[in-house]
Amino acid sequence: MATVGDDVFYAGIAELTKRLRAREFSALELTRAFCDRFERLGPGYNAIALSLRERAIRKARDADDELKRERYRPLQAIPYGVKDLVAATGGPTTWGARPYAGQVFDEDARVVQKIDKAGGILIGKLAMVELAGGGGYRYPSASLTGPGLNPWDRTRWSGGSSSGSGIATALGLVTFALGSETSGSILTPSAFCGITGLRPTYGLVSRRGCMALSWTLDKIGPMCRSAEDCALVLETISGGDSEDRGSAGKGFYYSPQYTPKPQQVTVGYAPADFEEWAEPSTHAGFQSALGVVKGLGFQMKEIELPDFPYGAILSTVLNGEMGAIFEKLIRSGRVDELADKRQVAGMKASLELPASEYLKAMRVRARVQEAIRHLFLDVDVLLAPSRLGPAPKVSEPLDRAREGPPPKSRGLNGIIPAGNLAGLPAISLPCGFADQMPIGLSFIGRPWYETQLIAMGSAFQSQTDWHRRRPPA
Amino acid sequence: MAITRRDLAGILAATAALPALAAPQESEETISAENALRANARELDEIPLPMDTEPAFQFKA
Repeated sequence: MATVGDDVFYAGIAELTKRLRAREFSALELTRAFCDRFERLGPGYNAIALSLRERAIRKARDADDELKRERYRPLQAIPYGVKDLVAATGGPTTWGARPYAGQVFDEDARVVQKIDKAGGILIGKLAMVELAGGGGYRYPSASLTGPGLNPWDRTRWSGGSSSGSGIATALGLVTFALGSETSGSILTPSAFCGITGLRPTYGLVSRRGCMALSWTLDKIGPMCRSAEDCALVLETISGGDSEDRGSAGKGFYYSPQYTPKPQQVTVGYAPADFEEWAEPSTHAGFQSALGVVKGLGFQMKEIELPDFPYGAILSTVLNGEMGAIFEKLIRSGRVDELADKRQVAGMKASLELPASEYLKAMRVRARVQEAIRHLFLDVDVLLAPSRLGPAPKVSEPLDRAREGPPPKSRGLNGIIPAGNLAGLPAISLPCGFADQMPIGLSFIGRPWYETQLIAMGSAFQSQTDWHRRRPPA
Repeated sequence: MAITRRDLAGILAATAALPALAAPQESEETISAENALRANARELDEIPLPMDTEPAFQFKA
């Protein structure tokens, strides 16, 4: 029996595939090793919603049969996990919330079906902020499984709402994970946990079988340890789906050979983001990362986001849709079972939102989209800090106001809600440390620009090793 | 014991007033959530919207 060393838990998809095909270890050995680690380490970080060991072992045996016959698939025997709002058979899908603790689906979500077909092995469901944070939570403890604890320092938060996906990927409990983003839920835990996360263009990945929080904002995306792995996973999960009304009917094929040379790509950024908006502890890390991007040869251009109240627009759209989606939960009173009182109040208040207010927000959203289209006439890609500081302490409220006067320039402040309102793809890359915690940098592109973003991420990661750093576990 | 119409009216008036007296005060969280909705509305009101600005029907730029 081959031994599976620790390095395997941090290997990328391409390396694992190579070693599996070289018979260094079998799919069954690999799966057992990951399941053991998942069950041993995951609970200490509140990362796990459910282990799917039996299902995984069954799939691993099938994978070994295929590997023996040299029948290869793109993600064959690669262990992965999904945020617990993605339906999977074999156990409950809780949406991270007590009222749904016993909820069982009899069919896998489309993304799980696709990864299954590509040979991936689902080893577990990953913890999340309850109902993906709908209603607005005040504390990291807003979850059925407790606060997501950061792999780099358990006294700090993992970020949310895809908390378990960030923790499990950073800790090497899975090779990759799926998360979801309505407004920041992939980018935030990716930045805080030191991994690479990709938010796809709205409509690129089917949400069939996934919890809805906002029909017009929700996206499912990969959370991996490298940009190249994000490409491999996105190739598998993208594509049209007649059973998701938001589906754009497009697929994704990573073809970096067709991307323009760096000298032909204009990157828009705002120095104020890195020097004034960002917390002082991050300045050195961000400046160094900016230097790497400039050194790659891209054309850099200073810009600002058009002036809109992005947070207010997004909150109003989200509240309108969430209130309709969870009306039954709210009116039944079971919403009171949620862990976070602010979130309970926010969900209840969403039912008071007038239709005219929702429509006004959607009208302003149309203007935002137009302004963003104009912005991309001047630049090809935007560059901004994924978050303005490292992960906060797990006991701190999340609604603390920024200290000191606001910077004179708005920079790209508000890019997370703006990017989500406009359905833009983005990739968050680990780019350094502040207070011994990871920080992240985001490239944001126009719709369907994933290949360019991933290629830029890959170029950045060829010059840095932040994505290879391992937390102390 | 005989109850006069005046007594009855007094009891009814007191009973009717009870729910108002016993109504729970809105929690800090509820007030905060409602204030957030109002603050969002105020910010949206400041954006000029010509009549022909239709809502977004596509969800990407």
